[in-house]
Amino acid sequence: MAGTIKVKFYALLRRRLNTTAIEVEADGISLLELLTRTEQLAGQRFLDELLDRKTGLLDGTMILVNGENVRLQRNLETRVRAGDRVDLFSPAGGG
Amino acid sequence: MNGWMGRIIRIDLSSGRQEPVAVSAETLRRWLGGRGLGVKLYSDMCPEPPDPFAAGNPLLFMTGPLTGTVMTSGRYQVVSRSPLTGTICDSSSGGSFGAALKAAGLDGLIVSGCAGRPVYLCVHDGTVEVRDASALWGLNTQQTQKAIHGQTPAKTSVACIGPAGENRVLFAAIMNDRDRAAGRGGMGAVMGSKNLKAIAAWGSQATAVADPEAYQTMIARLDRAVDKNPVTGKSLPVLGTSVLVNIINAHGMLPTRNFRSGVFNDAEGISGEKIAESLLQRQSACYKCPIGCGRTTKTRSKSGEGPEYETVWAFGAHLGISDLAAIAEANYACNELGLDTITMGSTIGCAMELHESGVLGEKMLWGDAGRLAGWVEDTARRRGFGVELGLGSKRLAAKYGRPELAMQVKGMEIPAYDPRGAQGMALSYATSNRGGCHMRGYLIMPEILGHPVFLDRFSTAGKPEIVALFQDIAAVVDSAVLCRFLQFAMGLSTFSEMLRAVTGLDFSDEELLSVGRRIYTMERLFNNRAGFTRADDALPPRFFQEELRTGSSRHRLVRLEEMLDRYYAVRGWDSQGAPLAATLAELGL
Repeated sequence: MAGTIKVKFYALLRRRLNTTAIEVEADGISLLELLTRTEQLAGQRFLDELLDRKTGLLDGTMILVNGENVRLQRNLETRVRAGDRVDLFSPAGGG
Repeated sequence: MNGWMGRIIRIDLSSGRQEPVAVSAETLRRWLGGRGLGVKLYSDMCPEPPDPFAAGNPLLFMTGPLTGTVMTSGRYQVVSRSPLTGTICDSSSGGSFGAALKAAGLDGLIVSGCAGRPVYLCVHDGTVEVRDASALWGLNTQQTQKAIHGQTPAKTSVACIGPAGENRVLFAAIMNDRDRAAGRGGMGAVMGSKNLKAIAAWGSQATAVADPEAYQTMIARLDRAVDKNPVTGKSLPVLGTSVLVNIINAHGMLPTRNFRSGVFNDAEGISGEKIAESLLQRQSACYKCPIGCGRTTKTRSKSGEGPEYETVWAFGAHLGISDLAAIAEANYACNELGLDTITMGSTIGCAMELHESGVLGEKMLWGDAGRLAGWVEDTARRRGFGVELGLGSKRLAAKYGRPELAMQVKGMEIPAYDPRGAQGMALSYATSNRGGCHMRGYLIMPEILGHPVFLDRFSTAGKPEIVALFQDIAAVVDSAVLCRFLQFAMGLSTFSEMLRAVTGLDFSDEELLSVGRRIYTMERLFNNRAGFTRADDALPPRFFQEELRTGSSRHRLVRLEEMLDRYYAVRGWDSQGAPLAATLAELGL
């Protein structure tokens, strides 16, 4: 059996989905594929908070794979592997 | 005059004499108001830096050309020399006091001298009235505001100090509209040194707007922009600023146990998400603010305002505390006693590390939530070990022979972002002209939050340029005077547009950037005269020598020397950080 990737939700996403994390059985797929599968498992749409299917990540979206922002990697094409942890933050701010 | 009231009053509390201060239209255009005009007027009055507690150290309460007009325009700026840092300082506060001061007819109130007995000032109809405050001395900030509300018309707004300011604690705050704070730099202590307990302002004078029709159209459009923006329209209203706890922790830069780690294992327990599902009663908003980032909260036994992000960090992760109720109650105590929560929490953390390292006998233990509110109270009242906590971390750590354990720049405690995780933020801290502060240039916006563009937080390339740019824009917004959170929804050109619509002057983006640069340079000139040099544009050695061991900023150190020379060059300063003659000429200084 393949391992799992832990996808964690924060802030408004957590409130929308009413859950803190989903484990997705996957290995060596793109971040976009992972997010699509996560949305299916969550049973409700939420990707509109993070990305535009045509233009990619929305301004201000923060997605960290093992603590590193995917914008410093390959954005939605970043490869994710079993055992990885993915943190999803919709645009947020403070001071 | 559109935008400005055309009236600034200077009152000498020693003699009781008051007089209007003439400011030319050209000066207003070059310095706007708020922080900029305040720094300009202060510098003119004090070519030589005075002792912060001397009668000759003026304390300025400034509004700006946008105060009382567009969204978030209830703010005011307090300008003086800081007793904590010795730098020029301006401290900003929300609520509605700024709008009330302007409705009372003033662009600014300059307080100098020292009253012979406690007084408070009533500002209305363009005049200032001195009233006896002997009966108010000793009251906390909420009791003070309540008492003054009983003696003044409805809709009066009050800015005041609590016991901490009366006792000249070096990081005493000025509190207004119940729980809004001009928190940083000890402006409350300067107020206390003048025997000035409070200022009450009321009035109905409207700010004249150059083109009312265009103005109304613009407001409607900007309201929609703020509402549509995911940060100002959704995240801040629902979760407040503490939404940052999990974000910054995930980036491995939530300062934990006096900046020895960037990961706090109990971050979830003190997060904005947790506050929303536990303590939160309702959101609260300042004057004309469509965002409403404030949190009205309740514990089992108390209620009040906060904690916001900086406070939940200062009394939480920084001290190894995850008891949210204890954090909130320490916050309430700071509000009531009139203390800056960042310096308070950071100094307690410094004391905890001093104790752990064996040089401080006082039992200060990581995670000791039970004694938190007591430490705050003792600090404000200057009793027991609170006398030493009231020194702030720099003086405390020096006293015990371990100056490197104070997490400060120029004597002001660094806030809730570990600079090892963001090189631009590190440079911004080091070059901040009021010390370790995130508000001079908030590089977390591009380096973490991705506004207005995303930058690689670990790279130093281009950071000197963008730090200077952010510092200059911040100086403009602080002088307009508006809330910096608007920057999530709008850029410099929108601030230019607002200033044009209200004042009728044809401000361009370039002109406003010059205004910001002028302000920043003027502040630097003051600090240079006060003895600050390149050596003070520094960070504690921890950030250069100790790598973070866990989290996503692990193995990182600050690389300040890669950026500082370039920063000075961008600013037009020499290699020691002194503005060059050509720069002064270009800025008309």
